Amino acid sequence: MTILQAEQLTKQVAVGGDQLRILDGVDLAVERGASLAIVGASGSGKSTLLGLLAGLDQPSAGRVLLAGADLSGCDEEQRAALRERYVGFVFQSFQLLPSLTALENVALPLELRGQRNAERDAAEFLGRVGLGERLSHYPRQLSGGEQQRVALARAFACRPEVLFADEPTGNLDTVTGRAVDELLFELNQEQGTTLVLVTHEQGLAARCSAQLTLEAGRVVATR
Amino acid sequence: MIAIAVKLLLRNWRSGALRLVVGSLLLAVAVVTSVALLADRVERALTEQSATFLAADLAVRGPNPPPPVWQQWAQQQGLRASRIAAFNSMVYAGDEMHLAAVKAVDDGYPLRGEVVISEQPFSQLAADWQPSRSGPPRGQVWVDSRLLPLLDVALGDTIELGTTELTIGKVVVTEPDRGGSFSLFGARVLMHYQDLEAAAVIQPGSRVRYRFLVAGESVEVARFNQRLSAELSAGDDQHWELITPERAEASIADTVQRGRTFLLLAGSVGVILAGVALALASRQFADGQLAQVALLKCWGVGAGRVRRLYAAQLLLLALLGSAAGLLLGWLFHAALLAVLADYLPASLPAAGGQPWLVGAATGVLALVGFALPALWHLPGLPPLAVLRSDIAGSPLGAAARLAIAAAVAVALLYGYSGNLWISLALLATLAALALLIATLAVVLLRVARSAGNRLGGVWRMAAANLWRARLHSQLQMLGFAAAIALLMVMAVVRGSLIDEWRWQLADDAPNHFLVNVAPYEIEPVKALLAERNLSSAGWFSMVRGRLVEINGAPPPADLKERHESLNRELNLSWSATLPENNQLVAGDWWPADLTLGAGEPIPMSIEVELADELGLQLGDQVTFSIGGLRFSAELVNTRALRWESMTPNFYFLFPEGVLEEFPRSGITSLHIPASEKLVINDLLRRYPTVVVIELDKVISQIQSVVNQVTQGLQMMTGMILLCGVLILYAGVALSMPVRLQQSALLRTLGSSRRTVLRIQAVEFALLGGIAGLIAAIAAELALAAIVEQLFAGGAQLRPWLWLAGPLGGAALVALLGVSYSARSVGVPPLQLLRQLD
Ligand SMILES: Nc1ncnc2c1ncn2[C@@H]1O[C@H](COP(=O)(O)OP(=O)(O)OP(=O)(O)O)[C@@H](O)[C@H]1O
Ligand SMILES: [Mg+2]
Repeated sequence: MTILQAEQLTKQVAVGGDQLRILDGVDLAVERGASLAIVGASGSGKSTLLGLLAGLDQPSAGRVLLAGADLSGCDEEQRAALRERYVGFVFQSFQLLPSLTALENVALPLELRGQRNAERDAAEFLGRVGLGERLSHYPRQLSGGEQQRVALARAFACRPEVLFADEPTGNLDTVTGRAVDELLFELNQEQGTTLVLVTHEQGLAARCSAQLTLEAGRVVATR
Repeated sequence: MIAIAVKLLLRNWRSGALRLVVGSLLLAVAVVTSVALLADRVERALTEQSATFLAADLAVRGPNPPPPVWQQWAQQQGLRASRIAAFNSMVYAGDEMHLAAVKAVDDGYPLRGEVVISEQPFSQLAADWQPSRSGPPRGQVWVDSRLLPLLDVALGDTIELGTTELTIGKVVVTEPDRGGSFSLFGARVLMHYQDLEAAAVIQPGSRVRYRFLVAGESVEVARFNQRLSAELSAGDDQHWELITPERAEASIADTVQRGRTFLLLAGSVGVILAGVALALASRQFADGQLAQVALLKCWGVGAGRVRRLYAAQLLLLALLGSAAGLLLGWLFHAALLAVLADYLPASLPAAGGQPWLVGAATGVLALVGFALPALWHLPGLPPLAVLRSDIAGSPLGAAARLAIAAAVAVALLYGYSGNLWISLALLATLAALALLIATLAVVLLRVARSAGNRLGGVWRMAAANLWRARLHSQLQMLGFAAAIALLMVMAVVRGSLIDEWRWQLADDAPNHFLVNVAPYEIEPVKALLAERNLSSAGWFSMVRGRLVEINGAPPPADLKERHESLNRELNLSWSATLPENNQLVAGDWWPADLTLGAGEPIPMSIEVELADELGLQLGDQVTFSIGGLRFSAELVNTRALRWESMTPNFYFLFPEGVLEEFPRSGITSLHIPASEKLVINDLLRRYPTVVVIELDKVISQIQSVVNQVTQGLQMMTGMILLCGVLILYAGVALSMPVRLQQSALLRTLGSSRRTVLRIQAVEFALLGGIAGLIAAIAAELALAAIVEQLFAGGAQLRPWLWLAGPLGGAALVALLGVSYSARSVGVPPLQLLRQLD
């Protein structure tokens, strides 16, 4: 069953009077429980594509179907509801809130959903990414890699149907990177989470069930 | 929902993002609450008193002893009656003396209400007070606590009043009819009416205010009122005035209302400044929330829910901040009360609910008007903002925010004053002043920038920083300039202005007035003075009369209401020649040897400003009533007076040979050197009805009044200064990201910590210096107006203001600013750069 599908996805932006085409007719489909790696050079449009697929932005043309719903046919409130239900996101720049501790950062989305024992869950996932000892530390007291892992724990804790991750291991050393890879695929196995990853790591891309290569906004290869 | 809002609020509080928001809110609420509480309690004290304000159901007020026949009428009507005489007189104990406000009451007093007395001088404890349904018995006086130290006496001692000695029986805390004007000068001495004769302090021509009081069944009181009114108007007797409790109440209510409006409007200046700080702090808070809101949106939290989450946080803030503000306001009002204690009734009733309501409403409205607009755009933030930091939503435009803030400011002012016109006018004035200061600030900033460019280095950076954030710089300068200017004005008024005024007088300028000298005493008094080698500035005689008609008709009611001089007895005097220090403005002075033929109009001279106010022209006929006798004169000239000459001055002058047969008294002024001061005691012991006004004491009394009032005002200014500090902090906090970046950059480029700190110090010093300069200009202008109004002196520049303003401002703001922004320097540059991406 296809959970995520894009048809002729195009994104244009106006840059000083000129129309810059960031994405150009991208087609893709991801089965539930599968994993897709998006690769490509810097500036090729990977993050833009991920944002469109997750319903954070609107395409200039084409459409995205998430769990059967056409995102471009929805208004912002309906898209929000879909995101709440299906989507998890790991950002390229982490997006941790500096005023919250690691534990609070992870617990916040759970609390917003009104989940009981939000902090216990959060602590458990932080333990799984190896930060069980750093619960009450603030992001500024953590290294880049540690911040990355907090961001991962936050996404995992929500147990999303589809997890979008923008370079989840980009800031990690090889060993930690491996551990994070393991975590991602554990989640994929245990909970049937669909993974959509942007990555430069050949190893990670190879482990995914499908791979899509972007070049200047066009799909140049699929596997 | 509420739980998570509380959680978010707590975390925001912990991060410090809310501290300035809450601080500004707190201050706004505290300022308003404190003045509202003060006003409300004083108002309550006055209205409570006014029920018994006359100590009677009807009072008749006049300059002569009430005719005995009134007593009979009252008895016929079955009413209780009482007589009161009030006047100023010297009282002595040993070598000490004091010009007391004496009130003589008979056995009937008070007809309504109670005299509150105590045996514990100065006690503020209600337990020490006893209500009394009568005045002092014969041979006793009850006195204000403060008279005891003034005369160095205690309860049970005796004081001399005129030619008698009276024992101090009790301390009087308050009388029902003490009046709305809390006595600033003479201490109260309450004595028995029948001791008056023995004291012999009242002589023909003395200024005594008599009252005849009645109380009883309201029908009978009304009947008595009718009878008396009919009688008085039949006899065309305009010396007596009937006062009902309603009338007394109305006049108090009016004064109180005006006082409260003034206080609250003064407080609103603080609220508006706090509002500016609140708006800036909220902007900063909103900036800090962008990341969080973007995340929430990304997680699928809808705009409506985000709005509710933030609305709940704001509401909680409003409640908590207002509650804390109310508490702070209460503390502050208690401090104000302590400072002003001498001029307020000893016991103030508790405040009602209204001040708390006003304070709480201020908190809520301030958040709505100043904080909410800054947060308005947050719920509409697109989720994409989480990926792209250049998306910051679309904040409300400056015009919209200004309009909302102005609307709320008008609503607040209207709530305080109850008068839309005053509110709009005040806001317009404040806006115009703000605009003026802001313009001045921008001009000075430009000057600083070009100077900075020339000086280079640290100066260039500092001036450029101020210029880049000029809107914030202007706002900060506004707050500080207002506070510094107020401080300066008060310092000058409090100290040097009164001194200056005192020193303007020549060394041998008269410093004492002798008033109320009976005609037969004048020669012996002159002899006594000559014996001590004291020369007086010349003797004048005066008689007291009322102005009852202008050109044959009573003065119009509105003029009578507006002009105090139509409602009391006036001092009328005579002179063959134009007195020294007087200047003819219009008309001609009468010949020195003027003799009036029968039927010829009596000429008269009036002080020019009074004539203008009364609408009098040369040739107008003015009728006076003196002790029941009528007498008319024609205005032939107007004069200008020099009040600071310290010689007796008269508004009304007549030729010789016109007023001499009326009861009159003498007045003179003279210089008594400190070494000869004891002559006053001799004089007063021999001539007890003479009143000596010691100008040096009057001046020091004025000084102490001004001191206490300015102390109260200074506390208000302190609050305004705090508002300025908040604006500074809010501005610095808003500019913190830029500051961090700059500091990190400078430090990676190799500047030392000290250099970066120096740039900031110079920047804040410049800011404060410019604010101080503006304050000096404003203070000079305000002082010129005050000097003109109050002291009738010429304008003069005060160089120390121009020095102290900029220097003080620079030091103050540099200290505050650097202490707050220094943390942007302490962090290692690497961490700074990391935090920024
Ligand atoms: N709103 C926009 N306006 C202008 N240019 C944009 C906008 N959004 C993206 N771009 C440009 O589109 C291109 C693709 O951006 P995108 O962030 O998707 O690249 P990426 O493949 O994720 O790169 P990287 O590997 O460096 O993260 C970039 O050149 C970027 O500058
Ligand atoms: Mg990217």
